[in-house]
Amino acid sequence: MSETDLRLVPTRRLIVAPVDALFALRPGDRPLVSAGDSVVVGAPIAERLRDPRLDESEVNVADDPRPGERWTGEPRRDEEAVPGGELMFEWHGHWRVASGDIADSVESPFAGIVRDVRPGTGITIRAAGRGIRGIVALGGPTRGRLQVGAVGELKSGGLDVGSAGAILVVGSRVDAETLTRARAMGVCGVVVAGLSSKERRDYLASESRQRAALHRLPPFAVLVLDGATRRPLAGAVQAVLGALAGHEVAIVIDPPMLVFDMPNLVIPAPPPDLVRIRAGALSGREGRFIRAIGPRRFPGGVHLEAGIVHLPDGMDAAIPLGDLERFV
Amino acid sequence: MPAGADIEAVISVLGDRAVAADPALAAALDLRRGGAVDLPRLEVASHAPRKLAIIAASDRAVAPLVATASRSGWRTVSGSAESTDPLAMSSILLDAGVSAILVGAGDPPAADERRAVGEMAALVAAVAGRRPELVIVLAGGMGDHLEAFGDLSRRPGEVLLGPAAHRGILGGPLADLLIELALPPDDAHRALGAGALALAEVLDRRVDIVEIGFDAGTRVGATPGVGGGPPAVDLAVVPTAALAPADPDDLVIDRVGLWSTWGADRHRLRDRLRELRVAPWADATGDGVTLRMAAARAALGRLAEWTPEWDERRPADLVVATGGAWAVAPAQAVALALVDVLRRPGVGQFALDHARILAPLGSIPDADERRAMVADLVDDLLVPLGTFVVPAGLRVGRSAGSVVVRGATGDTQHDLVPGGLILADLPPGNAAIAEFKFRDTVSLGTRGRHFAIDVTGGLGGLVVDLRDVPLRLPDRADLRGELLDAWQASVMNGRDR
Repeated sequence: MSETDLRLVPTRRLIVAPVDALFALRPGDRPLVSAGDSVVVGAPIAERLRDPRLDESEVNVADDPRPGERWTGEPRRDEEAVPGGELMFEWHGHWRVASGDIADSVESPFAGIVRDVRPGTGITIRAAGRGIRGIVALGGPTRGRLQVGAVGELKSGGLDVGSAGAILVVGSRVDAETLTRARAMGVCGVVVAGLSSKERRDYLASESRQRAALHRLPPFAVLVLDGATRRPLAGAVQAVLGALAGHEVAIVIDPPMLVFDMPNLVIPAPPPDLVRIRAGALSGREGRFIRAIGPRRFPGGVHLEAGIVHLPDGMDAAIPLGDLERFV
Repeated sequence: MPAGADIEAVISVLGDRAVAADPALAAALDLRRGGAVDLPRLEVASHAPRKLAIIAASDRAVAPLVATASRSGWRTVSGSAESTDPLAMSSILLDAGVSAILVGAGDPPAADERRAVGEMAALVAAVAGRRPELVIVLAGGMGDHLEAFGDLSRRPGEVLLGPAAHRGILGGPLADLLIELALPPDDAHRALGAGALALAEVLDRRVDIVEIGFDAGTRVGATPGVGGGPPAVDLAVVPTAALAPADPDDLVIDRVGLWSTWGADRHRLRDRLRELRVAPWADATGDGVTLRMAAARAALGRLAEWTPEWDERRPADLVVATGGAWAVAPAQAVALALVDVLRRPGVGQFALDHARILAPLGSIPDADERRAMVADLVDDLLVPLGTFVVPAGLRVGRSAGSVVVRGATGDTQHDLVPGGLILADLPPGNAAIAEFKFRDTVSLGTRGRHFAIDVTGGLGGLVVDLRDVPLRLPDRADLRGELLDAWQASVMNGRDR
């Protein structure tokens, strides 16, 4: 195998570091941290309003009010509630203030350092740890003990109440019913290789119905590592997840990532010639890259750059380079 | 080579292939095996489009702003004071993904705008203070509120004044300003404009370029200077015309389904499109080719919708396809996809920028050097796909006439049966005269019954397209699939599909 040939295979990073996660804020949400602060796991970092509204208030000009600042007014006669909120903008001598009655606490799912705080926009925290990147994460930031489940598709009947508080690795695919049941049983998150568009839509609809009912949803996230079709988790990823089993990990939404803080965990580099086939008839299989063979004709009348891959069952297959990936 | 491959390895392999293919030329250029990595490089890359928040006082005013920005390299999110409350509007503007704000009003503001523009300016100025890195464009009458933004010299993000957007006029100075802000000068989409102009000047022909890429679709119309006049170029970069949008809605899926022969339901089609987005170079064989071409046709349709002014212009002499969408498809299929979607009565030549080199050439800063480079490469730059003749106004159900193709190797005659495609073999580099005799008057650029047309060959030969203009497809998916398959078979002429 020539090294130049191998470098023609597209690469994918197995472990990402550092991890800067963004926790989105909307107008009225109250950040509880400042840039430079250290946060520990579970520390409240913001209060998020459930139903923000815009009030018109008279603000003392002597206080030099500025957009984005918090403001607290004087309580009106016969009212206990103290008016306050986030100053948005001034118009005709009055300030528009974003406020609300009920706020939920947002907690940091990992330890780290606050990099940036922008009221109304978001809080960026650099995690103390590393991450495995996914393609999308649904739900909200969460953390829990990683539990590696069965290889293949997890059905709702396969869920166990003992998984409460865990982040489950469920293999190739999962359906919306299993996801909603997992959330109801106290599972904190799910890591899956593929989530089909229908299941994704059904799950998001279920989540939005829950929110509309004004329930405070328990932290729950679905991290999709590969795509929308069924294929097993890559061997290299499975090996890392296996090493993390039983330890606390976090899922963040932006960027979609599984974050873990285990500085002593040695992650062996995958063999350099190990490649994974991500599309086509052999999708999901892994093998050793032998050599690049230049342009080859494939079904559909197309000519594509290809390489020979030696599969564990002894078969050598010519695969388009675009269908291959290797982890670095 | 697929994206994600190591660029040094790609250059090394391609250099070695060049040496092996023509050792004498390589020796003349002092190019040895493994030596390509040391050659000087011209690098161009396309950039992911950024998000522009667009607000105006009324829905009526926001529409032309969105139409202009959407074809100027920006992903857009919009709201108007008429239908969006100030809190939601603040959320739009404060969103971490927003890179710039366009706030516009008529010049002077119309009656329905006047009441809201002041409050809107106060809201945007407050956001500008909180996010000083944002670029703000005040279009039309909003320019009168510049003082609300305070001391601009202390702000890292620019605050710019732009002209008002007008309904029905999508290009123009505001579009030019937005493209300038959206894309850096070395961006591949933007460089296509200069590349197209150089090609038009070298060929002395009107050239249209259509690009369908990963992040955006691009359309360029370039006209060489005539009679000492200046050349002209019109550029539109439409992010929603990307091959596979990041989050495809039902409209996108239905459109891909319309062109798909695959017979998949919406959910499966959406899954495949998401996969195409995640790994655009993967799954490019078998079914994947069909899906890719359906997605490319759908994207081409979106590109055409955002650039309606092209329909009012004279058809270009040469239409060049470029971009990743076409890179892994048979040439004949590319030509058919272009003519399926960009349907206009007339005669058109199609070509493929097979090496996708027009954008790198367009990024050469000096115009003379750029033209010289294009002139040097012009024989190898494009793969001719062939000539398409598309008459309109045919009567269905009987023969519409005949065509005789008089070429170097003899004459061939074909009956013109409406509804189908006729393929006349005309290899690249060959020219012929096609003499058409229609029974009734048809439109072929001009109206008439008898036409003699100079045609040139290509990988797709000469194709006489006797289908409807615009194309009508059956509602039933199975019938539609059969018809699309049959048309594809016509142009492939027995070649492997």
